[in-house]
Amino acid sequence: MSADTSPSASTTVLKRDYGVFDAEIAGKALDAQLLKRLFQWVRPHRRTMTISIVLVVIASILAIVMPIIVSRVVIDGLLAGGQPVAMPDFGMNSLTHQLAALTGLDMIVAACLLYLLVVSLWAISAHYHRVYLTTAVLGALRDLRHDLFTHLETRPASFYDRVAIGRVMTRVTNDVEQLFQLLSGFGVLIGEFTPFIVAIVLMFTINAELTGTLLLALPIVAVATILYRRVTRMVYRNIRQSVSQLNQNLQENISGMPVVQLNRREHHNLARYTQINQLNRNEENHAIRLETWYGAFMDNIGAAGMGVIIWMGGGDALQGTVTLGSVILFTQFVDMLVRPIVVVGEQYNVLFRSMASAERIFQALDWDESIHEPRQPATLPADLRGEIEIRHLNFGYARDNLVLRDLSLHIRPGEKLAVVGPTGSGKSTIIRLLARFYDFAPGSIFMDGVDLMDLPSAVVRKRIGIVLQDFHVFAGTVHDNISIGNPDISRAQIEQAARHVHAHEFIERLPQGYDTPLVERGRNLSQGQRQLLAFARVLAADPEILVLDEATASIDTETEQLIQDALHVLTSGRTSIIIAHRLQTIQEADRVAVLERGQLRELGTHAELLALGGTYARLYALQFQE
Amino acid sequence: MDRRLSEVAGEGRPETTDLSPRSPLRRLWTYHTRYRLPFWGSVTLLLSARSLDALIPLFLRDSIDAIHAAQPRISAGDLMASDAQSMLLLPALGILACVIVRLVALANARRIIRRIAVYVAYDLRKRVYSHLQLQGPGFFARNPTGDLMARAINDIALVREFIGSGLRTMLVNITIAAVGVIAMISLAPVLTAVLLLPLLPIGIVGWFAARRVFERSMRVQQGFSDLSEQVQGNLYGIRTVQALVQEQNEIRRFDAVSDEYNTRFQALVRLNSFISAIMPWMAAFSTVIILGYGGSLVRDGTLSLGTFTAFFSYVGMVLWPVREIGQMVTLWQRGASGTQRLFQILDSMPEVVDSPKAEAPVQIRGELSLRGLSYRYPGIGHDALSGVDLTVQTGEIIAIMGRVGAGKTTLLNCFVRLLDPPVGTLWIDGVDIRDYPLEQLRRQIVLVPQDPFLFAELLRHNLSYDDPARSDEEIWEAVEDADLLTTVKSFEEELDTLVGERGVTLSGGQKQRSTLALGLIRNSPVLILDDCFSAVDTQTEEQILERLFAARRGRTTLLVTNRVSTARHADRIVVIDEGEISQLGSHEALMASEGWYAELDRIQKLKLQAGLHEANTTEVSSLGTQT
Repeated sequence: MSADTSPSASTTVLKRDYGVFDAEIAGKALDAQLLKRLFQWVRPHRRTMTISIVLVVIASILAIVMPIIVSRVVIDGLLAGGQPVAMPDFGMNSLTHQLAALTGLDMIVAACLLYLLVVSLWAISAHYHRVYLTTAVLGALRDLRHDLFTHLETRPASFYDRVAIGRVMTRVTNDVEQLFQLLSGFGVLIGEFTPFIVAIVLMFTINAELTGTLLLALPIVAVATILYRRVTRMVYRNIRQSVSQLNQNLQENISGMPVVQLNRREHHNLARYTQINQLNRNEENHAIRLETWYGAFMDNIGAAGMGVIIWMGGGDALQGTVTLGSVILFTQFVDMLVRPIVVVGEQYNVLFRSMASAERIFQALDWDESIHEPRQPATLPADLRGEIEIRHLNFGYARDNLVLRDLSLHIRPGEKLAVVGPTGSGKSTIIRLLARFYDFAPGSIFMDGVDLMDLPSAVVRKRIGIVLQDFHVFAGTVHDNISIGNPDISRAQIEQAARHVHAHEFIERLPQGYDTPLVERGRNLSQGQRQLLAFARVLAADPEILVLDEATASIDTETEQLIQDALHVLTSGRTSIIIAHRLQTIQEADRVAVLERGQLRELGTHAELLALGGTYARLYALQFQE
Repeated sequence: MDRRLSEVAGEGRPETTDLSPRSPLRRLWTYHTRYRLPFWGSVTLLLSARSLDALIPLFLRDSIDAIHAAQPRISAGDLMASDAQSMLLLPALGILACVIVRLVALANARRIIRRIAVYVAYDLRKRVYSHLQLQGPGFFARNPTGDLMARAINDIALVREFIGSGLRTMLVNITIAAVGVIAMISLAPVLTAVLLLPLLPIGIVGWFAARRVFERSMRVQQGFSDLSEQVQGNLYGIRTVQALVQEQNEIRRFDAVSDEYNTRFQALVRLNSFISAIMPWMAAFSTVIILGYGGSLVRDGTLSLGTFTAFFSYVGMVLWPVREIGQMVTLWQRGASGTQRLFQILDSMPEVVDSPKAEAPVQIRGELSLRGLSYRYPGIGHDALSGVDLTVQTGEIIAIMGRVGAGKTTLLNCFVRLLDPPVGTLWIDGVDIRDYPLEQLRRQIVLVPQDPFLFAELLRHNLSYDDPARSDEEIWEAVEDADLLTTVKSFEEELDTLVGERGVTLSGGQKQRSTLALGLIRNSPVLILDDCFSAVDTQTEEQILERLFAARRGRTTLLVTNRVSTARHADRIVVIDEGEISQLGSHEALMASEGWYAELDRIQKLKLQAGLHEANTTEVSSLGTQT
């Protein structure tokens, strides 16, 4: 839904296919569209990237120069009793001569020095190539991760209602991680192809016929690699499936272990697991057979080339058309000839997985579901009276299933309203709409006479304090968790807020008091403590209007009494809407609104409604069966 | 990494970072014994393949020397070049033959050892699975599902990697190096001795580098899991984040974690890159020694040009393992830590051991007798149950009550030996419960647990989980007894409805009633219901119990409940408080005496009058603190 969609259009909930977040992406090996888009994030780091590429080209050439020193300078020039055959040597012979003349060293020693120099330069440039490359790639991925997370952070509740958190999460983590291999893979490819091309050119100038013959291996290797990749892809898919079956079976068995044991299903379940286990073993064996033959073939093809070089190159050397050093040079390059194909083959799988990852990332980035934000926002007075008016409100999460039907309700400034009703009556939905988690229409909600739809959602949320049932504890200290609604607040104010809602006592008892770090999701606090902390947080933020979903979880009496007191503090002098589950809360409210199937059934004080003998009285007496 | 270690230690699972690869890996010796034959077969094949490696440079040497010797004669016109070429035929074909034999040997050697790795993984998986099935609730409380899964998946994978890759690489490398050194010594012993000198520092650097790499990659892994945790925590609390308008702060926090991860990753890459630059750089000194010293020997005529060339290949062979030492150490370390973590699980002894005696009756009648039953959870300072005495006659219906944590569930778990009561404290039909075979006991004493659990399977399979061969008739009857008929009929596929994540999600009450149906279907002599109506409304509970009590006439039934309205139908009521029986008697008797039960009844009636209450544990626990 785009930002300028009028609110009324949102009644018909757009049919979105949330299933794409669960579906496995088939993908292709190379998708220019995706790559192009991905390079948007690399572009800001292009300078680092360029340096890295220049360095890898230098390193590649130096890697070629090393065997040249061995074969052309030492063997041809010094040992083999040099025939005068002019062959390309990157000027190494003359360099050696100059070095020897300059230092007065023996030619062989001079060649050794030159060799060491080249190796050193190679090591430095290769190292910095990798360092610059990862700097660029990691920088790009950091930006991508930031953009993706920012995007997800601002998706509306309707999105998170429908997709599994795990599926979204792995896009930020694993999928971005996967792209590291892709982007740095390009660097690897450049590093492999540059020496390959330099070597080929060199070899052609030395001995075109022999080089041509050796290159015949390329198509063979290429075909073998393509076939291998194609076949193994299917096998790998089968393996993945059997592995996920194994894991699923194991996980379920562990979670349901008492049920398994009490029903004496151990043997039966083990037999079923073993079946999958065997299936997995067979698939693995299949893959291994393919992998080992392919691997052995690739490892040996270069050595086979040696035979060809000795026969053909040796023949040429005897003819005197090439030097002996050149033949030896060829034997040193022979492994390099098939390397690019091997590497491309290796990168192919990476490429495939990465494309799927990129697609998943972009899928999330392109998910434009959002709530309506006004283009010209209305302004609210600095001090709210705290009046809420709900007018003919209709709302449904799904298309044909209205949760709220034509609901009208006027909450006076400073009033404390308890909302009650059976499960599914739409109580919690009201909270979610007040928090602007969803767009709603037809119907409207006014805050001090201003339509919520005319206000930015952030403004609404700042003015209305919301306490959800599942209070979220942020990783950080107790202090951070209380001050989070109002970052400018002082420690004294925080303690005061905590004192008011009776949270101070338990906080003081924590190992580091207000500075005690809380584990994500607050596992180191009890239910009741979390509730009190939520109260402290909202009190510290001091919003003009309070909307609260009372927790239903069972809490011991003592804490329950603390919570009731805290609630009293929290709501006094503040417009409060409370989805109430406790009798005391209801009795303390100014008025009680009874919801049933999305409609307002009754409205009045506790006593009035009891006297009425309607839905409220029935709800009230539901359990009474004596 | 530090944080993680302290967290792990805090959870009482000491994880030694013993990097010496020997000790834990010894545990895998059983598998060596099991796959001895293929293993040594594979080693032999590897050895022969590597011996062929040493032959190739020899062929190269012969051809170079032949060419070198022939060249002056050809230029002098003594020899035709085409005739001379025939000398090269043997070395060329020799190399080809070597290559083909080596290909076959290598492929098979690798295949065999990797297959062994797969077989060991298979065996280990099966072993872990069977082992887990023997464990009791204490074990699963100590080892959360996620942790067990991680061990069963990742650690077995590490062991497999160790055998299929780490062990193999080591064998290969040792062979390569040995063959290379032997070949060189036989060709030129002095040169060999000199050029092996740089290998020592390379090996030392490799060894230390490997440790640093290991540390840094642990830090990267930790950084990644911090990142995952950050995103996950944030997304689970997204509504709170948005309600508090904390999006920008959260993005900042995320960026900080993300940056930290990047920094660690960069540090690892930098180190790895440095190693892959410094190792070949150091190795280049060996090359320089051949060039300089070897070259001068050639010039002096004491070394042939062919041998000089062959030495480059041999040095490559010797350097190969030295360069790979880092990777090898990592593989071994990972294998060792995987093995260690795996055997931590496999070494834990089952809490409940089946040691049946012959005199245990096959058919249980249902007389239960508790004689001073005490139970204390390991590591807890006080008894969960202490000195409980109670005799339940065959056919009695007993309600068990008490506030949260009083010991009700502990007691019930003893009857099915999910927990093991001390010897001589719990007797079934006059025989100690520990003398019954587990299988026999659990077939006849049925416990319906408090928390319902359904498998992601068809409803039918869930309801007949104890015996997949049950007839439809039996299943439908149980469905009706558990008041699940309307629910099941409402499903399009009825009993063939898939439940769970990928199927229909059942409500809490529906799950409870399904679990109840699984308990009822078994028609057992003893039925134990552990507060399995908490998510079911009172009216339905009454209906179910009415049928149940009628059907179970003459058979023993125990049920935990929090509702007096339920308990009153029982023959006797047992109130447990802090692990001891505080009240025992019929409803009328307990109502007549001042005490917890009468007080509970009074409060529940009051609450009922006040309406709107849920008969949950709240008031029961509140009562507990008052008395």
